[in-house]
Amino acid sequence: MSTFDLLAQGLIAALQWQNLLYALIGVTLGTAVGVLPGIGPALTVALLLPVTYKLDPAGSLIMFAGIYYGGMYGGSTTSILLNTPGESASIVTALEGNKMARQGRGGPALATAAIGSFIAGLLATIGLAFIAPWVVRFALSFGPADYFALMVLAFVTVSAAFGDSALRGLTALFIGLGLGLIGIDLQTGQTRLAFGIPDLLDGIEVTTLAVALFAIGETLKTSSDPAQINTQFTAIKGSVWMTLEDWRRSWASWLRGTVIGFPIGAMPAGGADVASFLSYSAEKSFSKKPEEFGHGAIEGVAGPEAANNASAAGTLVPLLTLGLPTTATAAIMLAGFQQFGLQPGPLLFTNNAPLVWALIASLLVANLMLLVLNLPLIGVWVRLLTIPKPWLYGGILVFATLGTLGANGAMSTGFGPVRISFELVLLLAFGVLGYILRRFDYPIAPVVVGLILGPMAEQQLRRALAISQGDVGILLASPVSMVLYAAAAAAIIIPLIMRLRGKGAVLGQLASDED
Amino acid sequence: MNTGNSGNMRRPDGAALVIAAILAGIAVVIFWQTSLMRVPPVQQRVGPTVFPYVVATGLVFLAIGTAVSAFRNGFPARSKDDFRPIVWIVGGLVAQILLLSTAGFSIATGVLFGFTAKGFGRGPLWKTIPAGAVFAFIVWFIFAKGLQLSLPTGVLERLLTTGSFQ
Amino acid sequence: MNKLLVAALITGALSAPAFAADYSIVAPAGPGGGWDQTARTMQEALTTEGISGNVQVTNVPGAGGTIGLAQFVNQENGNPNALIVGGYVMVGAILTNVSPVSLADVTPIARLTGEAVGVVVPASSDIQTMDDLVARLKDNTGAVSWAGGSAGGADHITAGLIAKAIGVDPTQVNYIAYSGGGEALAAILGGQVTVGVSGVSEFASQIEAGELRLLAVSTDTRVPGFDAPTLQEAGVDTAVQNWRMIAAAPGLTDEQVAAITADIKAMAESDTWQTALETRGWVDTYLDGEAFEAQLEADTSATEAILRDIGLVE
Repeated sequence: MSTFDLLAQGLIAALQWQNLLYALIGVTLGTAVGVLPGIGPALTVALLLPVTYKLDPAGSLIMFAGIYYGGMYGGSTTSILLNTPGESASIVTALEGNKMARQGRGGPALATAAIGSFIAGLLATIGLAFIAPWVVRFALSFGPADYFALMVLAFVTVSAAFGDSALRGLTALFIGLGLGLIGIDLQTGQTRLAFGIPDLLDGIEVTTLAVALFAIGETLKTSSDPAQINTQFTAIKGSVWMTLEDWRRSWASWLRGTVIGFPIGAMPAGGADVASFLSYSAEKSFSKKPEEFGHGAIEGVAGPEAANNASAAGTLVPLLTLGLPTTATAAIMLAGFQQFGLQPGPLLFTNNAPLVWALIASLLVANLMLLVLNLPLIGVWVRLLTIPKPWLYGGILVFATLGTLGANGAMSTGFGPVRISFELVLLLAFGVLGYILRRFDYPIAPVVVGLILGPMAEQQLRRALAISQGDVGILLASPVSMVLYAAAAAAIIIPLIMRLRGKGAVLGQLASDED
Repeated sequence: MNTGNSGNMRRPDGAALVIAAILAGIAVVIFWQTSLMRVPPVQQRVGPTVFPYVVATGLVFLAIGTAVSAFRNGFPARSKDDFRPIVWIVGGLVAQILLLSTAGFSIATGVLFGFTAKGFGRGPLWKTIPAGAVFAFIVWFIFAKGLQLSLPTGVLERLLTTGSFQ
Repeated sequence: MNKLLVAALITGALSAPAFAADYSIVAPAGPGGGWDQTARTMQEALTTEGISGNVQVTNVPGAGGTIGLAQFVNQENGNPNALIVGGYVMVGAILTNVSPVSLADVTPIARLTGEAVGVVVPASSDIQTMDDLVARLKDNTGAVSWAGGSAGGADHITAGLIAKAIGVDPTQVNYIAYSGGGEALAAILGGQVTVGVSGVSEFASQIEAGELRLLAVSTDTRVPGFDAPTLQEAGVDTAVQNWRMIAAAPGLTDEQVAAITADIKAMAESDTWQTALETRGWVDTYLDGEAFEAQLEADTSATEAILRDIGLVE
C-alpha cells in the first residue's frame, strides 16, 4: 500500500466522531494546562498522559497528540501577553511578542503564533509521514564534532542578535554559562561548583531559571517601576486580527521557521529551544526592517513559533522511526506507547502500521483543531491584560511556584520541622537576579541561552575529543561541520562588511572621537 | 578615551562598579573551586576543569569591561524604582518557602498571593490571604488530586479532602 | 475551557475509592522515568489487588536518586507506611556523589525487577563477537569508544568490569557518557562510537530489526528473547544486573518489616503486577529477606571496587 493510502486510512480512523471528541478534549486540556506559567509541555504531557490510559490505544494516542500540540501552543500565549514563558522554547517568542502586546498588538502576535504553529505543524507532520527515513539518516550522521559546530553557530548568531550593548549581552551570556557549570559533570561524575549542596548536584533546571528570570523578575520590576505600575495596557489597539501587512511579513518567516525547526527537532541533541534561537537570529538577518527587532517585530514571533512547533513534530521522527526519545517530552511519550505494549522502533511502521498512521493523521487533526479553537479565543486571551495587576501577578506567582514545586519538589533541607524546597529558594534568588538585570538594562534571554547551550557545547566538544583520543582535527573532519563553521563566520563577517559600507561615515566619526 | 578632559568627567557609576566587583568575585570563586577538583585519569585531555577556567577568564574580562563602562558612565539611565513592593513580594515568596512544609500548599501560597497583591497596592491582607488560599486550594485540588502532581499537603488539604486532621 | 478541565478532573478524583491512606511511595526520579513507572505500577497493583486502600506516589528527582533517598531517611524514620523505590544506579550514585545517606540507612524490603546490560555494535561494524571486542581492547584500550548512560552508572560499570575481567587497565576505558538512552543509541546507530552499553530493552527493537548486533548480556543467565551469550559464556568472567528494589523507612520493628514484606510479596505475585511486567517488558527477579540483603551487600562492595578501579571514586 502506498503512503497516501495509509495516510488516508489513518485520516478516516482519526475523523470518527469519538476520535474527534478525544482530539478536542486533548487539545483543550493541553492548552489549558500548558498556558499556565511555569508548566511547560514536558510537565503537561507527564501530567495528562495518565488521563489517556483509560481509552483504547487509538483513542489514547489521538488524545495524546492533542495534548502534545496543545501544550506546545499554550506556552506561547503567556509568553506573548505577560512576558512569562513557561519553558525555554518560548523565550524568544516573548522578546518580540510581549513588545507587540504592550503596543496593543497582542491579537496579531497571538494570531501569527497560532497560524505559524499550524502551518509548521502541518508541514512537519507531512514531513514526518513522507520523508522521515531520510531526515533521520541525516540526523544520525551528526557526530559530536558536528554538534559542537552547530553550537558555535548558535552562539555566534544568538549573541549577535541580542540587545544593543555587546558588553551587557555577553555578561548575561556568561552568567548563564557560569550557571551551566554547576552540578555533576556527565563525563566524569565529578561535582562542580555545588558547594556541598545536594540539590545542586543535578545542576540548575532550565525551567526554574527561565520562570524565575521572566515571571518573578517581571513581577518585581512591574511592581516597583513607577512607569509600569500605573500603565494600563490597552488590550487591543487597531484590529485584533492580522493586517495585510502582518500577513505579508509573516508567511516567509513561518516557512523559514519550519525548515529550521523540523530537522533540528529530529536531531538527537537538538531540541525546540535551539531551533527557536536559530530561527530568531535568522529572522533578524532576513528582515527588511531589522531596526524593529527588540521593539515588536512580528517576524520575531512568527519564525520562532513555527520553529518550535515544527521541532515538536521533528522530535517524533526519531521516536517513531527508531524508538529514540530525544527530549523529556518524547521520553514520557515512549512510556505512553509502552503502556499498550507498543515498542517504537524500526519495525513499528511495519508491525503497527494502522496505529502509527492513525497517530500521524490525528496529529494533523489536532493541529487543525488547535487553530479552529484558538483563533476565536484570541479575543478572550488578550483580555488577560485587563485583569487588575494585583490579581494577575498574584496568580502568575501562584502558578510559577506550583510548576516549580511540581517538577522538582524535594524538601530535603531545613531546620527542625520546617523543611525547605531548595528549588523555590533558587526561584526566588533568580527572580531577584531577573529584577537586577532588568534594572540595569541587561538582556534576559542570553542568560537562559547560556545555560542551555553551554553544557551542550562542552559535552559535545569533550565527546568529540575523547572519541578522537585528543586529535583536534576531528572538529573539522566532516563536511557538515565545515558548512556550519562557514555559516558562523559569515554571520560575523557579513554584518561587519555591511556596516563598513553603509555606515562608513559614522564609524569614521566615532574613530576620530576616540583620540 | 577623554580622560584628560576634565569637562567630561562625571562621578563613576557606583552600582555598575558593584556589578563589576560581583562578576570578578564569581570568577574568583570558579577559579578557586575548580582548582580543588580531582580530575579522573582518563579524562585529562579535555577534562571537567577546562570549561570552568574558560568561563571564569571570560568573566574577568567582562568585569574589567563593566568597570571601564562605569567610569565612562556607559550604563543607560535608570528609573527611580520604589523598593517597598519588592520587599512585599520577596517577603511573600520567603513566607511561602517557610510555611509550605508545615501549613501546606494552600495556606502558604495564599500568603504569597496576599503579599503580592499588597505589593501592587491591594489589601487588606486579612481579605486577600484567605482569598488567595481558596484559589490555591482549588488549584491544589486540580493538580494534586486530579493530576497526581506531588504538592505539599497540610492541615487544610487533609481536612477538606479526607475530613480529618491526620 | 477551564470549566471543562475542572469538571473532568473532579469526576476523576471523586471516582477513586476513599480508603484511609495506606502506603506512600517515594519515586526518587522525575515523572515518566523508570523508577517513577515502577512506583506507579506498584500503586496500581497494590490498590487493584486490594492489598492497600490508597497509595500515594511522590516524585523527588535528583542526583541518581540520592536526593530522594536523603529526604526519605530524614523525614520518614519509623513510619511503617512509607516506601521508596530504588535501584542499582543508586549504589553507584551514593559513592560518586559522596552522599551523606546510603542504602544502609533504609530498610531494604525486596528486589522487584532486573535488567541485563547489553553490549552492542552497529550492524556494519567488523566486530562480530565478544572475542573480537576483547581482542580490540587488548590491542588498544583507548581506541575503543563506549557509549552509554551517565558516568558511574550501570553502563559505565559494565564497561569497567569487562576491562578488568580481561586484564586491561580500567582507567583507560574510553567511555563517552550520554544523558539519555536516546542520545546514546543515536551515537551507536550513527557509528560515532565503537560499542554501546545500555539496558537490553532499550536496544530490543534495533536488534530485532538487524540494525544492531548484540554481543553479550551482562547477567549470569541468558535473557529470554535475545540470541546472545552471557559475558561469562563469552569468556569474560563478570556479571552485573541493573535491578530495581523497594525499601521501607529506617527504625522499624521486626513485625512492621515482616508485614510490609508480606504485602510486597503478595503484590509481586499478583496478576496485576505480572501482567504489567509483561506489557512493560520488565523481568521479574523478585528476591527478599536475607538473600536480598546478602546480594545488596555484595553488589555494594563490588561496585565500590570497580568505581575505584575506573578512577571515579578515590
